[in-house]
Amino acid sequence: MSLSTQPAASGSKTIASSALRRAGLMDRDATMRDGTDNAGGRKGRTRSGKAARMLDINRDKPSGSRPQTIRFSTSATNGHSSQTAIRGASSRPTLAGRIRRNAVSGDGESSTPSRIPVKIMTPKPVEAWRELVKKRWNPETKFLNLDSMLEDEVVKKYNLNPPGNGGTGRDAAVIFKLAGQLKPEVETLSLANNKLTGMLLIQLGRYLPSLLNLSVQNNSIRDKKELGMFIGTKDKFTKLRELVLVGNPVHDAALKHNDTAAFRADVARRIPTLQVLDQDPITQISFDAPQATPLVSVAKPNATTFPVEMGPAFVTGVDGSLVSNFLIRYFQAFDNQRDALVFAYDGAATFSFSANTAIPTRARITGYHSSREMPNQRKLEWGSWLEAGSRNLNRIGSDANKTISNLHIGGEQIVKVLTVLPPTRHDINGPPEKFCLDAFPVPHGQNMGLLVTLHGQFTEVTSGGIRSFDRTMMLVPTADGSGAKLNGWDVTILSDQWIIRSYSSHEAWKPGPMLVQAESTKPKGGIVSAPSPQPPQPFNVASLPPDQQAALATLPETRQNLVIQVCAQTNLNAKYAHDCLNGNEWDFNRAMANFNNVKASLPRDAFL
Amino acid sequence: MSTTTTTVTTNLTPSDIEIATRAADTFTRIYYTAYDADTRLADLPQFYRPTSSLTWNGKPFQGAEGLVQLVTQMPATKHEVQSFDCHPIPGTSPPSLLITVSGNVTHGLGPAGNPSDLPTRCIEGQPRVFSQTFLLVPDPTAPPTKPGEVAKYYVGADAVRFVG
Repeated sequence: MSLSTQPAASGSKTIASSALRRAGLMDRDATMRDGTDNAGGRKGRTRSGKAARMLDINRDKPSGSRPQTIRFSTSATNGHSSQTAIRGASSRPTLAGRIRRNAVSGDGESSTPSRIPVKIMTPKPVEAWRELVKKRWNPETKFLNLDSMLEDEVVKKYNLNPPGNGGTGRDAAVIFKLAGQLKPEVETLSLANNKLTGMLLIQLGRYLPSLLNLSVQNNSIRDKKELGMFIGTKDKFTKLRELVLVGNPVHDAALKHNDTAAFRADVARRIPTLQVLDQDPITQISFDAPQATPLVSVAKPNATTFPVEMGPAFVTGVDGSLVSNFLIRYFQAFDNQRDALVFAYDGAATFSFSANTAIPTRARITGYHSSREMPNQRKLEWGSWLEAGSRNLNRIGSDANKTISNLHIGGEQIVKVLTVLPPTRHDINGPPEKFCLDAFPVPHGQNMGLLVTLHGQFTEVTSGGIRSFDRTMMLVPTADGSGAKLNGWDVTILSDQWIIRSYSSHEAWKPGPMLVQAESTKPKGGIVSAPSPQPPQPFNVASLPPDQQAALATLPETRQNLVIQVCAQTNLNAKYAHDCLNGNEWDFNRAMANFNNVKASLPRDAFL
Repeated sequence: MSTTTTTVTTNLTPSDIEIATRAADTFTRIYYTAYDADTRLADLPQFYRPTSSLTWNGKPFQGAEGLVQLVTQMPATKHEVQSFDCHPIPGTSPPSLLITVSGNVTHGLGPAGNPSDLPTRCIEGQPRVFSQTFLLVPDPTAPPTKPGEVAKYYVGADAVRFVG
């Protein structure tokens, strides 16, 4: 990494691929830049005022650093309005981002006091902002340059307070909304040098979700939390290719702590489309992603039956007894003496396990959680699995440390974690229909490996409860003379992933025809086929009010799942669903029964 | 421990793991979005090559063509990924990625498409639990289209089962 905190130093960088540079957004000397460079207009700006602001930006100050600017400006004159400035400085910006200053009175606290205060008829704020946006817009390059707004003639003319320099989140939203209305659509946006906080940028993605290139160089995005407000996760900027974050406290802190790799990884994760960050390409694996508009028109899904039946175990390209012998030996050791498995793994092998704590719909409807045949299901707890380091990337993907620490490499490391996982009993010699095996050869570098997937169930010895699992292993032939060979393993594990989930019946993979919808019990001919074969939307947590989402997030994962399940079934809001479960000892079936008894008497606001 | 197998023992760096995790995140999102879209017949084959091996509930299909054959006759789907995991496979460079996914999938109209005269506790039409494994491998012939691109990856193998 060779990023510089000094924006001026960026001129020496040559990144041919930089779309921002092509668009003229990353200039050679950001400190020399203001609105006049591109938008034309005012001349004779004082250098000193600009330089002072740049210095301010590089300090880790509260975002409402307007007072510093004022102080500098006023010290150059006669201390004009210093009272206001000091008062402003003492009021730290609230989370709501309302950086209020004494603007309502229109006390002439202009950023350049040297100007003669000519009274201009002030239009409505939105019209004034519209004039600024129009002036800074270049429709040919689709480039909207809103850098250094404080310096702009329009801002001065109307005595406006740009967001970051006294303006509020509402001002920011107005500007972004106006920008979002421009035609053609804005592709490149610079908001450099505006002291913008993450809070002030919160609405940017809402109004300009399709930006390709964006610079927020030299602003006041303080920390990860503010970064999250700005760029969110995954769906805020859906096309963004290039982003400049240099010169924000959050970035400076990453540099200072020698943590830029993690910082870049975090940003890349939040914006999957991003290709270049701070002028350096993002290392990534890519796919032939589907086109937004397919080149050929294709038939919509309209089948009402499955293309083929459920098939039995599928093992090909390998002697079936080799696989079954391996699995029998593996699981016997797994259940009885896990440390004996050290030689079953390659020295570089990878292992992780993931808990899928969701409640399976069909198992729930069938009532397996409270069936007499399986009396111990209620005793099952997810805690021991989650604490031991579940690597469900749906849950921990945002935690870089966990994604690394929960991946175990090499036989010794692997058996170390295997031995602390809850004891299990796999009835591998029992009824064969309780397991389902698929195995076939796959390319492994220049050679071939064997991909093995095993689905089945095991008993958690401590509670006696039964869980289902999916186990995926990549196997290769064991090398002669290796520890694995000496210990009698004909194949060695290169990669091993284990998904543990709530119990579902092995009926799921019973060979034979499968139904898409239930068949009517009425005589045939009376059924009218449904018009549109679109499946219903599953319950979405995002449909809950934000405060309930936040409250939900504080619950343990298993309880979150229960609440979501109850919401989905009953249309209760999360609060009522939670109370209903809580009053029924977090037993789903009891809660549902309780709901059905009282639903007629519930107030309307109990429901979503 | 010093087992020497047919593979070259290479140490995975945190960066390898981070890139693989990010790739799996992206892949699972765009793959199931494509699968569930009306345009899936145009979109899904992009992920496959003629050499790709697929099994769908124990029935084999070969390559992008086999996938098209399978998906043409598939009812509409709605997938919900509840859990996924990804390993870079040791001994390959750039590494192949092994991805496992657990979630549920609703077919056709789901419960809403069931006739109204059903007995209680009927599970048909309800979401199924699925388990899907992908082996993603780099395509050395595909020209890079992004500045920091390691390689373009495609689905070398894909095995799916309904498991609940």
